[in-house]
Amino acid sequence: MIEVLVKSVIQLILLLLVAPLITGIIRTLKARLQTRRGPGIGQPYRDLFKLLRKGMVVPNTASWIFSATPYIVFGTAALVGLMIPMTATDAPLSLFGGVLAVVYLLALGRFFLALGGLDTGSSFGGLGSSREMTISAIAEPAMMLAIFTVALSANSTNLSEMARSAVSQSWRFLAPSQILAFSGLFIVLIAETGRIPVDNPATHLELTMIHEAMLLEYSGPYLALIEWGASIKQLVLMTLLVNTFFPFGLSSSWMISGLSLGLVFYLLKLLLLACCIVLVETTNAKLRLFRVPELLAVAFILGALALISTFLF
Amino acid sequence: MSFIHDPQFGDRMITLMAALVLVLQIAMVGQRWLITNIRLFGLQSFLLAAIAGTIAFFNHSNHIYIAAALTLVVKTLALPIILERIVARVGIQQEIEPLINVPLSVLISGGLTLVGYIVAESFYHPEETSAPAALGHNTLAIAIALFLIGFFMMLNRRKALTQVLGLLSMENGLFLAAISLTYGMPLVVEIGIFFDVLVAAMVLGILVYRIGETFDSTDVSKLRRLRG
Amino acid sequence: MVLLWLLLVPLVAGPLAFFLRKRPAMEATNVAAFAVVLVLAATLVEQVLQSGPVSYWDGFLYADALSALIVLLTAFVALTCSIYAVGYFRHDEQNTVFVQAEDVLGEMAAYKLRKYYSLSPLFVFAMLLVALANNLGVLWVAIEGTTLASVFLVTFYGRETSLEAAWKYAIIGGVGLSMALFGTILTYYAAHQIMGTDTLAGLNWSVLVVNAAQLDKPTMRLAFILILLGFGTKAGIAPMHTWKPDAYSEAPVPVAAMLATGVLNCALYGLVRFYILTSKSLGPQFASQLLIVFGLLSMGVAVPFVLVQRSFRRLLAYSSIDQCGVMVVALGFGGPLGVLGMFLHMTFHAVTKPLLFFCAGNIQQHVNTDLFRKAKGGLIHSMPWSGAAFLMGTLAVTGSPPFSLFQSEFTILRGAFGGGYVFPAILFVALLVAIFSGFLVHIANLVLGPDPGLPKGETCRWKKYSVLSLASVIIVLGFWIPAPLYRLIQGAAGIVMSAP
Repeated sequence: MIEVLVKSVIQLILLLLVAPLITGIIRTLKARLQTRRGPGIGQPYRDLFKLLRKGMVVPNTASWIFSATPYIVFGTAALVGLMIPMTATDAPLSLFGGVLAVVYLLALGRFFLALGGLDTGSSFGGLGSSREMTISAIAEPAMMLAIFTVALSANSTNLSEMARSAVSQSWRFLAPSQILAFSGLFIVLIAETGRIPVDNPATHLELTMIHEAMLLEYSGPYLALIEWGASIKQLVLMTLLVNTFFPFGLSSSWMISGLSLGLVFYLLKLLLLACCIVLVETTNAKLRLFRVPELLAVAFILGALALISTFLF
Repeated sequence: MSFIHDPQFGDRMITLMAALVLVLQIAMVGQRWLITNIRLFGLQSFLLAAIAGTIAFFNHSNHIYIAAALTLVVKTLALPIILERIVARVGIQQEIEPLINVPLSVLISGGLTLVGYIVAESFYHPEETSAPAALGHNTLAIAIALFLIGFFMMLNRRKALTQVLGLLSMENGLFLAAISLTYGMPLVVEIGIFFDVLVAAMVLGILVYRIGETFDSTDVSKLRRLRG
Repeated sequence: MVLLWLLLVPLVAGPLAFFLRKRPAMEATNVAAFAVVLVLAATLVEQVLQSGPVSYWDGFLYADALSALIVLLTAFVALTCSIYAVGYFRHDEQNTVFVQAEDVLGEMAAYKLRKYYSLSPLFVFAMLLVALANNLGVLWVAIEGTTLASVFLVTFYGRETSLEAAWKYAIIGGVGLSMALFGTILTYYAAHQIMGTDTLAGLNWSVLVVNAAQLDKPTMRLAFILILLGFGTKAGIAPMHTWKPDAYSEAPVPVAAMLATGVLNCALYGLVRFYILTSKSLGPQFASQLLIVFGLLSMGVAVPFVLVQRSFRRLLAYSSIDQCGVMVVALGFGGPLGVLGMFLHMTFHAVTKPLLFFCAGNIQQHVNTDLFRKAKGGLIHSMPWSGAAFLMGTLAVTGSPPFSLFQSEFTILRGAFGGGYVFPAILFVALLVAIFSGFLVHIANLVLGPDPGLPKGETCRWKKYSVLSLASVIIVLGFWIPAPLYRLIQGAAGIVMSAP
């Protein structure tokens, strides 16, 4: 029991610290690729601290949902983060559920975010919520198919089990089912974290914003919690991607030496994935909203093919 | 580096590249921009040449090397250059709405892949598992899928150039099928087929150009003067 | 050696015409080349009849009675078309059909003519290679070569409709041939399993036919279906026939005639070679049933389009689809009589079809349209020879006695009843009668009738004499067939019948 608590605390601290770092790295890399200097890697931290100290304005028409949403978003993201192997193959809360729990917890967070956007009664919020729901309607099955492919090869839906079995088979990531699942999951990552080509995270134009539209009415600590929760969710999905498909460097125990080595490898892999995301963001234009289902249909088919090919190859 | 000579590793690399070929083909079905489609085709041909090269490496047979080199030169370099030049001269950039919308056509491509797997099952003989000989046998399913998806692309799309790309994808699928079933056709036949494909692409390209000039559009649904 | 010369002469004559400047030189080269080819073909026939199959280049080129028959027919059609083309293109040039008004020096005309005179020998080269290649892969390459060589011949007039016809021809032909390539690959796979060799001989027909009984059955089944769909597209079997009416009506008449006879024969030749392999491996039942179904379907599809037709060029195309169906059904009926009937039909058709095209071409050039309602009627008054020959050719091609095609169709029917295919035979006859009536009514309306007062249209000697000579050949063949020719046809049928 104590062990679980200690591991959870360590992993939680790691989550909370690394999540804004990744957001900062992605923003800086993007800026550098666009020959700007960018605000610096530490800017998300500065933003969070600023927001936490600021006062809040809550709309009159909002209900308890408005106030509950930031906590739920942050809480579900952090909870999911504790269920995923980050530096060691053993996630602290892995006994409480596997991939299904992960998917549904993320869905819960997204659901409340959409409700929060609708709750204020402003049209921008409703617009963002409906767009977000359209995208997630196809992204979620695609994500499930891709993750189930990995679960099939590991014969378990427990993420720690999946990581452990992946570590034991060295060339497994070259199998076509893994490649197809990875491609499908990468597209889902882009969709879920609201990056170009699905959604522009830096825009506030009515025509183009999806995620930002739901957050328009939030301010102060609520906004800080939601932003933090969103970057934790992004970190969680990226971790899922790198650790289930390329589990190099995952330490098999929670010894300090293993953990630190694992941390180094983990950050390296995250950096690589962040570079890929930045490349995709910089070389593509944002898709029209009605074209997004086409992209997600491709992700869905990739997931389906990955699942089929585990049986046929 | 001894693992490079291990047939298991070769098998895995070939399977990996074949899966990427399939991904590229599905991307071509959903893709709208013609130049991107042409480049995807070039990349796909490059992967096919790599697959042929890997099989040649493990079987130490020269004529498969030559087939791989021909694929590289003709389909990865020459054809995309020719087709991109046609696109530049005719001036069309983008595909218009296909007959079946993109998500549904991507789903149908997935279904056709399944059909390809089922057909290829009947060709899989488990008793022939001597390692170099069995190399790439599981790529037959992808080859048939490529053939069927290329055919579907020809029916579904309306721009003339995309129909040409569909035809070339069918040929790619046949090349992969020949490689996986019999390690390629006899060399003279291979050379003849490549020559034919090159000339066919050039002929079709010239036709596309002239259609574009005459009809001011390369939408083949406008070619409906001859009836009955 | 004669095999090599057969291929070299057209291969050289094509590019040679490209470098010539004057029209008479081009015409002379073309006609002379094809005359030489016909003589060489006759020599080949004599060699094959005397001493059996001829092979060259270590078995790369191979000619047995079947190949020799196809070569002879192709050479004959090529020569008659090139003679007719002289007059046809001279008429076009005089009437500035393919020349812009500003083209004072006639450079455009010379360019167009050069295109025809350099591409058509290459076209014939590809057709000859189909018949002479031993390797099934090279056979495929050659058939694809015929498509590629003829696409620009179909776009000859550069009209919008020409481009549309050429596009459909190229694309549908391309798809069909891809399927045929897949069938060839599967055949090679089946051969590879029993021969186990990587050399060229693995796909050689003469080698495969000896061991064909051991070919893997499911593979050959799939392979034959693909080959039927693939080469059937080139031959024009329904439902892959949709390119035919467009291509035959838009191409210049000599090209259309070569497409209708040469390419049809080559595609059917390819189909027959694979049919022999398949029936040795699977037994004749499977392939025959497929062939009968597709053949009757082709004939059936042609009927409504023949009855309701607005253009006589397209009418000829549907007639060609119908004739192709007849030959395929004949192959399907099988048995010694069915196969003999098929080759007789192929031979007689190769003589009759060009006549129809030439007459149609004469009429079209005279009245400047190919639509029935614009051409009105009574053309026999202004073009007595062409009109009469057209009428006679119609009667011949639809199988009326005493013309030769009646005999071949009768032989096919006897083969059908001999094989026990009673219902298909009845359907066969019914469809033939339907086509006969439709075709005859259209042509009779076109040719007969009151005099519309058009000027005399048969001024060109080349065109007139082509028509007359073909017409006389048809009349003669109705009563007498030369013994060597008949032995050749029997030899070809014998090769097919060597399947158990």
